[in-house]
Amino acid sequence: MTVALIFVLLLIIGTPIGFSVGIAGVVGLISMGGERFLAVAPGKVFAGLDAFPFLAMPFFILAGEIMNHIGITDRLIKLAEVLVGRFRGGLAHANMLASVFFAGLTGSATADAAAFGRTLVPAMERAGYKRDYACAVTAAGSIIGPTIPPSGLMVVYGSLMGVSISGLFAAGILPGLAICVICMAVIALGGKRENLPVAERGATLGEIWRTFVSSLTALAMPAIILGGILGGIVTPTEAAAIAVAYALFIGAFVYRSLTFGALLEMLISTARITGVIFVIIAFAGILGWWMSFERIPQAIAEAVLATSEEPWVVTLIIIAVLLVIGMVMDITAILILLAPVLVPLTETIGLDPIHAGIIFILSLNISLMTPPVGACLFVLSSVTGEKIERITVKLVPFLLAELGVLIVYAYWEDAALLLPRLLGFTN
Amino acid sequence: MVALVLDVWLGVIDRYHFHWQLPWPETLARYLMIWAAMLAVSSGIARREHIGLTTVIDRLPFGLRRTLLMISDVLALALFAYLLWFGIGFATGGANKQAMIFGVSMAPFYAAIPVSAAVCCVQLILVILRDKGRQGEPATVEMPK
Amino acid sequence: ETIGFGHDNKADPFENPAHACTAVFANVVAADTNGEYEVEVFPSNQLGSASEHVQMVRDGVIQMTLASTGAMAGYYPRIDVLNLPFAFRNNASTYKVFDGPFGKALAEDMEAELGDLVVLGFPDTGGFFAVTNSQREIAKLADFEGIRVRTMTLPSHQKIMQALGAEAYPLAWGQVYSGLQTGVIDGQMNPVPTISFAKFPEVQKYLTLTNHLFSPYTLLINRDFYEGMSPEAQATLHDAAEECVTASRGLSRIIEASDRGLAGLMDQMEVTALSAEDRAAMVEATQPAFEAYAAETLDEGALTLLDLFKTEVQAANESAYLD
Ligand code: NA
Ligand code: NA
Repeated sequence: MTVALIFVLLLIIGTPIGFSVGIAGVVGLISMGGERFLAVAPGKVFAGLDAFPFLAMPFFILAGEIMNHIGITDRLIKLAEVLVGRFRGGLAHANMLASVFFAGLTGSATADAAAFGRTLVPAMERAGYKRDYACAVTAAGSIIGPTIPPSGLMVVYGSLMGVSISGLFAAGILPGLAICVICMAVIALGGKRENLPVAERGATLGEIWRTFVSSLTALAMPAIILGGILGGIVTPTEAAAIAVAYALFIGAFVYRSLTFGALLEMLISTARITGVIFVIIAFAGILGWWMSFERIPQAIAEAVLATSEEPWVVTLIIIAVLLVIGMVMDITAILILLAPVLVPLTETIGLDPIHAGIIFILSLNISLMTPPVGACLFVLSSVTGEKIERITVKLVPFLLAELGVLIVYAYWEDAALLLPRLLGFTN
Repeated sequence: MVALVLDVWLGVIDRYHFHWQLPWPETLARYLMIWAAMLAVSSGIARREHIGLTTVIDRLPFGLRRTLLMISDVLALALFAYLLWFGIGFATGGANKQAMIFGVSMAPFYAAIPVSAAVCCVQLILVILRDKGRQGEPATVEMPK
Repeated sequence: ETIGFGHDNKADPFENPAHACTAVFANVVAADTNGEYEVEVFPSNQLGSASEHVQMVRDGVIQMTLASTGAMAGYYPRIDVLNLPFAFRNNASTYKVFDGPFGKALAEDMEAELGDLVVLGFPDTGGFFAVTNSQREIAKLADFEGIRVRTMTLPSHQKIMQALGAEAYPLAWGQVYSGLQTGVIDGQMNPVPTISFAKFPEVQKYLTLTNHLFSPYTLLINRDFYEGMSPEAQATLHDAAEECVTASRGLSRIIEASDRGLAGLMDQMEVTALSAEDRAAMVEATQPAFEAYAAETLDEGALTLLDLFKTEVQAANESAYLD
């Protein structure tokens, strides 16, 4: 109890999450009494980071940064535009579709929000969209990024819980596409009410073809990553390293827009982002060990099961916990802290590990767009200057639609496991 | 980072092309990553990039906020000082443990913990002296999810 | 008093030999000390990896663990002598060797080398290693050619696979299933119960009962804790350890014989047993390679142990039950 109290207090006074986790963990060790328990911490920090799959995360971040830098994002946006630009709210639809293309390149929702906030939101404003609506569409689409593989969140989940990362990747594809489709439906249905503009003319077939060809280099990336992993050539970590190689090759030899200085900057920023995440993972090793020793996950599991042993209720409780805590805390940190506590519950109620993983990842992704701590909202607001409150109002229908997708995939196992089963990752 | 990318590539190429069956690329990658990650943690301190919740603290009066931020920094310093102290024991203990694949002791790998903790301590002392709790909104970094 | 006991298997005594051993041990200790000692079990890697468990026992953070040879190797490299391939004739031989002079010598050497541990026994991990793969039936030495086999990050295991003609790649345990599924690797080696529980039959077609390795756990207790116990309590501890070892052997054989073991695997995979000639060819290919490797990498003490191991194994292989 003391440990939980100290942890919450630290968070409130603004201590970085990683340090708060570490201090709380050490307080836990102290409460056990005896120097030998204090000596456990360095080993747990080391062991917490000692997992090969984690390496995929910095690699995917770096590959995404390079692709972004050399202008691939712009090509993908252009492609989406020529494909669906002709309909009412064409640019809004294009935004969604571009998010799907972009998702194949990066595992990051905030990267999507930042890139599209800089490019598509101004373009939509010029075409007559209201800025709050443009931001809402971008935010809604941004979570497709970490849902469709590659996904940093899936890497963390798979490494921590010993679940096949390839299987999680396979399971993410359909929900990601479903989010895109249902958000496009929301755009279409609300088109009249929001008075969305209609483009004067559609793209010609020639234009579509030319744009398609110029984006081929970008579209090849997800094919390489997914094909490599699902086709059994490489492990996810190795696929990530190859993605980096591919992005470097395209940047240096095809577009020739990649300079050594820029690359160095990207390497540094990748290392920084990685450090911010890994510090949480490292210190969670201490806190997690203390919790295991004190049998806290079992106590929490028993408390939940005491409420109800109905699988659907337990699932609902898990989703609610993730969504609510996701409103106030960084989602990678939540995953690292709560997965070890909540995943045993999913085992008790007989959920397939990959299915449970998808529920976790969808719930946390959706919480990326909920205030007050919605990373995508932060990014969009800081990039575009739009107020978070105004974006949120326009976001409501999208949010409800995405919650719908979450519920469907949480309770319809056959749908959630369709691809993983087809590819043989589970049975 | 570059070494890491090269190391993982080597693992793949080995499996498909050279068939040397090198046992070490995977292990080396893990230990390199731990060193890189732990050092990245310290550079994040200097730039105040580690994410925290700022919703509450931003609404507090300046004086109180400054005190709390100072406390927060000092606690972080205590955390890394502790990690440094026990990390030294951990790393020297690693001298008696073998990394099977390399046939060398674990000490140079375990040393990542005390060394980076020491660097973090220095960084923290420097930022505490620099900011004295006056850091504005603690930075929100663009966090990939 | 509480004895903290960590291990890396599921907490079901019918599921795996590790927990069968632990459960029996805990039961005997609680009953025979009349509740003076109580064993608190931390299963399923709750406190860390097998290797971390060993460190925690050495540091007195927990009191006991079951360490695999892989986990022990980092602290006690001489344990590599157990990896002499194709040594044992059958499971009964392993009982005789680890309960006899060799087991005693190994335990004493471990205790002397490590200083802060007491060895209570060598429980069964699930029997001999078998090889599975997705490419072809392996019946003869030549069939290993070019098969990419996952091994633990133990150089001797790699050497053995390479001596057979296969390619050996280390891969983290968590990646093995998906690696086999997608074809990043072709095969792996493990005891039959492990193959069954890890659901490898879903992704592997061929199983060869090579029986090439036997890799027991080491049952460890912190020395300070042990020496703080009364002689009566210590005697109980040794009794409990013996019963734990017996239970691990019994459950391993039962699992092998049940539909969760070989019988079950036969429905899902093509199972091959080696003929005497083919096995002899594999002995020929691997044992000299292993001994050359051992001479090159292991120290004097290890080689003395290896000699004793070979003598004792031969005696056990030649002796018959109650004979
Ligand atoms: Na993605
Ligand atoms: Na959120």
